[in-house]
Amino acid sequence: MFGFLKGLGVTLRELPKHKVTLQYPDVRPEWPERFRGVHRLLVDECIVCNQCARICPTDCISLSGTRGEDKKIRLDTFDINFDTCILCDLCTEVCPTEAILMSDTFEMAQYSRDNLYLDMHWLHDNELRYERNHPERFQKDAEGNEATETAGEPQ
Amino acid sequence: MWNWATHPISGLSFLGMVIGAVVILLLTLLVVMYSIYWQRKLIGWIQLRIGPNRVGPFGLFQTAADVLKLLIKEDVIPSKADRVLFLIAPILAFVPAFTVLAVIPMSQHHVFTANVSIGALFYLALSAITIHGVMLGGWASNNKYALIGGMRSAAQMLSYEIPLGMSVVGVVLMAGSINLNDIVIAQSRSIWYFIPQILGFIVFMIASTAELNRTPFDLPEAESELVAGYHTEYTGFRFAFFMLTEYVYLFAMAGLFATLFLGGWSGPFLPGWLWFALKVFLYISIQFWIQATMPRMRVDQLMTFSWKVLLPLALFNLVITAVLKAVV
Amino acid sequence: MALTDQQQPIRTEEMLLNVGPQHPSTHGVFRLVVKISGETVLDAEPVIGYLHRGTEKLAEDLQYNQIIPYTDRLDYLASMLNNYALCHTVEEALGLEVPERAEYLRVIVMELQRIASHLLFIGTYLLDLGAMSPFLYVFQERERIVQLFNEICGARLTYNYVRVGGVKYDAPPGWLDKVRAFIPFMYERIQMYDDLITGNEIFLRRVRGIGVFDTETALAFGMSGINLRSTGFRWDLRKNRPYSIYDRFEFDVPVGEHGDCYDRYYLHLLEMKQSLRIVEQALDGIPDGPTLGKVPKIIRVPAGEYYSGIEGARGELGFYIVSDGKDKPYRLKIRKPSFVNLQLLPDLLRGRNMADLIAILGAVDIVLGEVDA
Ligand code: SF4
Ligand code: SF4
Repeated sequence: MFGFLKGLGVTLRELPKHKVTLQYPDVRPEWPERFRGVHRLLVDECIVCNQCARICPTDCISLSGTRGEDKKIRLDTFDINFDTCILCDLCTEVCPTEAILMSDTFEMAQYSRDNLYLDMHWLHDNELRYERNHPERFQKDAEGNEATETAGEPQ
Repeated sequence: MWNWATHPISGLSFLGMVIGAVVILLLTLLVVMYSIYWQRKLIGWIQLRIGPNRVGPFGLFQTAADVLKLLIKEDVIPSKADRVLFLIAPILAFVPAFTVLAVIPMSQHHVFTANVSIGALFYLALSAITIHGVMLGGWASNNKYALIGGMRSAAQMLSYEIPLGMSVVGVVLMAGSINLNDIVIAQSRSIWYFIPQILGFIVFMIASTAELNRTPFDLPEAESELVAGYHTEYTGFRFAFFMLTEYVYLFAMAGLFATLFLGGWSGPFLPGWLWFALKVFLYISIQFWIQATMPRMRVDQLMTFSWKVLLPLALFNLVITAVLKAVV
Repeated sequence: MALTDQQQPIRTEEMLLNVGPQHPSTHGVFRLVVKISGETVLDAEPVIGYLHRGTEKLAEDLQYNQIIPYTDRLDYLASMLNNYALCHTVEEALGLEVPERAEYLRVIVMELQRIASHLLFIGTYLLDLGAMSPFLYVFQERERIVQLFNEICGARLTYNYVRVGGVKYDAPPGWLDKVRAFIPFMYERIQMYDDLITGNEIFLRRVRGIGVFDTETALAFGMSGINLRSTGFRWDLRKNRPYSIYDRFEFDVPVGEHGDCYDRYYLHLLEMKQSLRIVEQALDGIPDGPTLGKVPKIIRVPAGEYYSGIEGARGELGFYIVSDGKDKPYRLKIRKPSFVNLQLLPDLLRGRNMADLIAILGAVDIVLGEVDA
């Protein structure tokens, strides 16, 4: 009998507790390093091996490249149809040069689906934005390698 | 001009009446606005949230913004609805809700409220009219959920009206008057009636919660079963009217509760209106607290509870009160 | 109880009510066509398929590792378990050795996932019954679990974490300690739910003796998980057909007595405690080492048919693979516990009233992503 009084006690005890609401647009969530947001692309790193496009379960990556004068292959286009991307992270996992990585951009609400075609420039800008936002993750070690750049690294 | 309650109506006293009504209306709207705000804040805090905090300082204007939104929304009338009934139902529900406020003595020198000699009865009688509004609204919407919701509320409010009335009778017996003012004065002379009338107090608490359709008796608008109950099809300001009705009743019931069991405006040190406000606030807060804790009752259990538990309890209380009254 | 014709004093009409597909308590897009007389349900017919995405068909065109992200979206409240169920089947087919550390990590995330899923059950169930607070409380704990998952695999809902032959990432530094810190907090909260909900008379009156079925019925309908255990039948694949490393841990399998909604609710609470026990032991026992075994670059499952089931959050979750030796399954069939458990629903609903409908539907605990696949 009167078990509900216990419940009333519980709710009363919760009353003064610390509130957990995150005032989202004002206070932004802290994402861990591995967070899988929209991709970022290091255009110069890409060797146009097409692995990412092949592994993608939803076939949303399309890319093309040409071999330049210096025999080095260059990326011409790189599009992610973000409409169908399921952020599964497989593309970054297979990329041999770590050209495609995940960023922590996550606000992608758009009025039109067309805006969700992310091209090379957008992805590159996203990379720059990421570097700006997380300088601490790009500390170069003594040899000048990007030692702590671990965010999207498969083990 | 202000003592129209005791004199024949003259032009001046009529003006007084009108002014009184308007002032009470404004006051009520203010109270409703901030009880909604308080509801959202308090329940928010209990649920580890912070509640409204965007519109105005601490979100104080949130309700105003909501009301404004409701007012400028399109007033949709379903084409298959019974138009006339659909249109008047919210009004039918609201008018008695507002009218009952006339008899609640909000302060010692009650200027804007009537000193009706049948106060308690007046309240009960009028509040029963609201059921029609609710039921007709549910019926006229031509929506199955609304229909079930409307029927449920009619059944529920009717069955809880009786224990509610019985618990009030206990107080009336003790005070020896149906006039709410007299009841308050009687309490200020002895003690607040929630002590001698503890049984009636409990019955009143439960039955009033059910009358107000609040958790755990919020079946008519049980959103997990009936979407929104009787006001499923209502939009815009008609919906606002139903909401308003609900919260005006909350205020009125809190007033009645304070008057009957907590001595109304009477109390030491503080001025009468402040005592009244405090008691009303207490009742409203308790309602919200319960709302944050309880699941909903089941409809058939609700009925049995009213008829088999509350009513006998209330009758028992009545008998005890009568016996004590005769003996003491 | 429905009145018979002779008893019925006035002529009443039956009403066909569409509950859903968009309805606050159908937990997604589930439609229930109920025939009601007054508030009594005469008949109910579940209509499913609003969330059908053709996962099984899609899988025929995908390599095994590519299917994993699709399993995330089946029972989206227990993605880790889905991930694992698929990988486990493939591993069994390949006869793969999985490194110890990977197995321990899998167990930890799976049990955390189970807790998160059960928490959400409690929250939504109470919300269905009209209590709002538990729903918001559970999100506090769930948020901590989800945040832990976010740290280990970078996603909060669709993890894609478990891989064939191991897991994608090792735990980041300090992660295991965070899990350890979570355990006492969670015990405390379970106690709180017990206080808040279990004793409440209104709640008890709504769930006791409602939606009762016995073991035979449950078995005949192929039910599993808590729905089966609530009838008193001790069947938990973690114990009865141990997979992964569950045979190393000590835990109990709580069972119900009456097979009613109350038992189903209470088992969720009890199972969370058991899951915490497993996590605790796994944290104590976790060795160092690699987290991904020797897996061929392209996984080709030898021709044949393979099935393995695990104890999902809602019952036996199984993947059935028919392979013709290629790198893609010839056919993939998923044994979806929610789907199976749903079958009994019309029988349970008949003759009950509208409010019970919600209580019963909620307690059967379906996730529409899984029902429709
Ligand atoms: S995250 Fe997955 S779905 Fe998105 S582009 Fe990469 S591989 Fe394709
Ligand atoms: S896998 Fe990496 S390197 Fe290869 S094409 Fe894709 S982005 Fe470029």
